[in-house]
Amino acid sequence: MTGGVEGLMMVHVLFGMLCIVAAVWVFVDVLNVSEANLARIRLMSMAVAVFMWLAYLIGGYWYVTYYAADKAVILKGAWPWAHNFFMEMKEHVVLLLVLLTTYLPIAAAGNLAANKSARTLVLWVVGLIALIGVAMDGSGAIIGVGAKIGLMPH
Amino acid sequence: MANTDSLGKYTVSYALSLAVVSVLNALLVIVKESSEDTVLAWMKRLTGHHWITHGIFVVVAFVALGWLFSRANGGRGMQISASRLLSLLVGAVVVGGAVIAGFYLIEG
Repeated sequence: MTGGVEGLMMVHVLFGMLCIVAAVWVFVDVLNVSEANLARIRLMSMAVAVFMWLAYLIGGYWYVTYYAADKAVILKGAWPWAHNFFMEMKEHVVLLLVLLTTYLPIAAAGNLAANKSARTLVLWVVGLIALIGVAMDGSGAIIGVGAKIGLMPH
Repeated sequence: MANTDSLGKYTVSYALSLAVVSVLNALLVIVKESSEDTVLAWMKRLTGHHWITHGIFVVVAFVALGWLFSRANGGRGMQISASRLLSLLVGAVVVGGAVIAGFYLIEG
């Protein structure tokens, strides 16, 4: 594996983390919503979607192009479940995250300061984004360790 | 029919679409993994990788269903109360995620 490919994986993780941080930002901003921060909430909601799409496309490119070699290493190692459960689960649950983050700017387009229902909806959506995002991040870490353990001499 | 005035047409339509596609995503996982020679092989042939096909299906379904729901009721969109919409959305995402995790916990 080349340094450039490793760098690509780090950029994938970076955008994933930025997505989570931006989602928590939106959560806190919505809890303190007023006419003054509505524009920032909409901007940060859009940022959540952009960060997630970048993480998804970069990670997806890496997964489709390079993951087969890592998968073989993981399956021969002591943690085959790092692929059999965590990678398989991650590659499909992440699509829920893509949908939720794409939906967030739509849900945040209304007047959250005046509309309690819209506010509650956005809080649940960003809450789910943050929780699923952390789960995806943790799964990615387990998959990485699974590959590392697979390379260790038995 | 419940009052939907508090949420915008597209907020409701795409939330419903998200709920439906969250469940469809999980069902597609089970169907393709249980039919490797047919469904999974067809998904691989379509784009070169089953996961690319899966992702395109999910995103296109989300956009298309959201648009269709927004055209319902003479263009006024789907009618559902905010609390029911929230329950459907959160429930579908949680169930969709749990079904996928449960499936790979058993099959993996």
